[in-house]
Amino acid sequence: MCKNMRRLKSRFLLAALLAATLALGSTPLQNPEVRRIGKKLGCQCGCQSSLTECNMLQCHFADPARAELLRMVDSGQSEAGILKAFVDRYGKAILREPPTEGFFLIGWVMPFVATAAGAVFLWWFVRRKLRPEAAAAPAAELSSEAYARYRDRIEKDLAKLD
Amino acid sequence: MENLGALAVLLAFCLSIYAVFGSAVGALKKKPFLILSAERAVYSIWILLTLASSLLVYALLTGDMRLAYVAGRTNHAMPTIYKFTAWWGGQEGSLLFWSWILSSYSAVVTWTNRRKFRQIMPWVIAVLMSTQCFFLILNAFVESPFQVLAVGKGVVAVQDGRGLSPLLQYWAMAIHPPMLYLGYVGFVVPFAFAMASLITRQPGDAWIHTTRRWTIITWLFQSCGIILGAGWAYAVLGWGGYWGWDPVENASLLPWITATAFLHSVMMQEKKGMMKVWNMALISATFLLCIFGTFLTRSGIVSSVHAFGVSAIGKYFVAFIAIGLGACVYLILSRLDYLKSEAHLESIVSRESSFLFNNLILLASCFAVLWGTLFPVITEAIMGEKVSVGAPFFNRVNIPIGLFLLFLTGVGPLIAWRRSSLESLKRAFLWPTVAAVLLVAVLIVAGIRHFYALMSFGLCLFVAATIVSEFFKGSRAIAARNNMNLVRAMVELTHRNTRRYGGYIVHMGIVLMFVGFTGAAFNKDDTVEVGMGETFRLGKYEMKVREIQDGDTPNYMWQRAIVDVRKGGEQVGTLRPERRIYKASQEPNSIVGIRRRLNEDLYLNFASMSQSSSDKAVIQAFVFPLVSWIWIGFGVLFAGSIICLIPPKVRLQYARTEVVGVVQKHAKVEK
Repeated sequence: MCKNMRRLKSRFLLAALLAATLALGSTPLQNPEVRRIGKKLGCQCGCQSSLTECNMLQCHFADPARAELLRMVDSGQSEAGILKAFVDRYGKAILREPPTEGFFLIGWVMPFVATAAGAVFLWWFVRRKLRPEAAAAPAAELSSEAYARYRDRIEKDLAKLD
Repeated sequence: MENLGALAVLLAFCLSIYAVFGSAVGALKKKPFLILSAERAVYSIWILLTLASSLLVYALLTGDMRLAYVAGRTNHAMPTIYKFTAWWGGQEGSLLFWSWILSSYSAVVTWTNRRKFRQIMPWVIAVLMSTQCFFLILNAFVESPFQVLAVGKGVVAVQDGRGLSPLLQYWAMAIHPPMLYLGYVGFVVPFAFAMASLITRQPGDAWIHTTRRWTIITWLFQSCGIILGAGWAYAVLGWGGYWGWDPVENASLLPWITATAFLHSVMMQEKKGMMKVWNMALISATFLLCIFGTFLTRSGIVSSVHAFGVSAIGKYFVAFIAIGLGACVYLILSRLDYLKSEAHLESIVSRESSFLFNNLILLASCFAVLWGTLFPVITEAIMGEKVSVGAPFFNRVNIPIGLFLLFLTGVGPLIAWRRSSLESLKRAFLWPTVAAVLLVAVLIVAGIRHFYALMSFGLCLFVAATIVSEFFKGSRAIAARNNMNLVRAMVELTHRNTRRYGGYIVHMGIVLMFVGFTGAAFNKDDTVEVGMGETFRLGKYEMKVREIQDGDTPNYMWQRAIVDVRKGGEQVGTLRPERRIYKASQEPNSIVGIRRRLNEDLYLNFASMSQSSSDKAVIQAFVFPLVSWIWIGFGVLFAGSIICLIPPKVRLQYARTEVVGVVQKHAKVEK
């Protein structure tokens, strides 16, 4: 009997817990502006997703932050103003991408600089690895008859272009 | 029991040291008995680690709550399958799992090559066992899974454990880590062969031939692991994405990218004897990135530099990676004479240079991902200020790189080896280009203005057309010659050169996946609060919440929204998104409702009950166009990889030494 009572009690407690956790919602997300701007702000609960996408129930960060975001959107603040307010409060880490200023610019340009550097290296490498006679072929074969024929044709074509 | 497990790990550690020195000294001093005993040590390590792992799994299955690992990762009510998968569900267990897979691979490699490659095998074993030794240090001394919950001097058990994280209690998550680990660990084998061939100054590329199948299988495991992770994120995390550029996801992608580059560039070495240094560098990078990925996942360095400071295993990983990097660089630089290229490039417009470009772009994307992942750590270390690098950054940087790679996927295979004439390029690319341009024009007329989406769809058709035309031309020729129908001719064509045509099929899989990725440009979403019987709309769909059910299982409690879906006035189905609260951990989890179709997925997440009204549900609805093509594309990629593994009907010979003569003759004919 006592055991049954205890089981009943624990079931009741669990049901209450379920109700409590499910009762706290993400209502601000109904506003499309909140969802859009929320995607630019990172949730700080450790989930690595955005404010819009954090799917934790009762998230200690996302829930109040979304409510705050809704309040700002409702009060007619601009997107830039809202993002600045969040940065002032939580630091630059709240933004989901590095700022495009100062040292942080390196973050943005580095992948492209590295790719360009790689391309330059590749160009140098290909030039170096090209069969020497292939690279120097025109000079070596200037006298050949076939080459002269091609050259004449090219010159004719170029003349036509002019 | 825990003592036996810990003892087995400790013994395995001692044996791994013996195996390293036994085979190295045996090879240097030419003592066959030492080499043989080192080989037997490899088998013994596998037996010991199998024993240790079995003991851990037994403890997990029987709920031995005296063990900290068991109490922390399981609870009695958990389904048996997830009790088993808890083996790799936590730090200590997953590191033991890593060790066990490595020991299994090492045993297989040692057994299958017991009569072959006698010169390099001792060094292969030495490299494998060095890695094994490192992981056994972690298993035995740093992150032991056999620690007991001790209070004072007594051993105590808790009544029930905390259970595996609810997010991990999902079928794809049960097999995602083993797949990824099979991939991560698998790359140790080609790396070991590469290093052994460097150490013994082997001039040829036997190591590539030997490990080719191994590399493809490993690559396939890793691809499976990555896609299962994406599928899991899509179906479980509830935010509707399949890829969030999370550092842990990035960690799995990095070695996959370098391995893909390696799979392409080895062809240059096999066929032309070129890129030897580069291949060594790529396989070393892949190995180091596998270790780095494990480090990234396990040390918590990306969440904060300070987390790295307190993490117990971070320092060990850094030391191992530094030693590994130093050894690779030293070996490659000191053996440059053996890695000289056997041929020259004939022309800039050639298959060879397209491989070089493919490698450049793959590495560029690898660098972009690595840079983005580490940039927060760098800024924190230099500026003292942390910034985040999330999905928007990675998408912006990687989308152009990815599209260029897609372009090369179409162009590369059609450019001839050595040199391509303008005429042949025109012949190969005219119709695919026309088709792509026409498609883009049609899409613009249809109202699509998204630049990247237009580019991507155009390129997808371009690449698909080049692949289809390759199959068509080849099989038409075979059909005409052998008097068979086109389908049989296509099978025959593929069977004759499985590697080439399997590769094309893999490329087709990538194209289909890109179609799926591109669909993301047209995603729609909405969040609504709806009462019972109320309807809401998203795109072409009209949805009505019919009822909210709830229930209880021993493991979790659940609440489910029953949503009827109508399209064009007709009922097309019922979705049942669900919310769960796991009892042991008191953590919530969502099981989303998805209506999967080839053109688009309708995806419903039951977020919560409303704050304002207790009988209203908060439903997040998404429409994801084309997302199914990602999974279909992966199926095609899988099939293509399997075809690559089938031995070809016709053995192709690449007479590399004759290349120069052939070219000169060829050049004369052209004149």
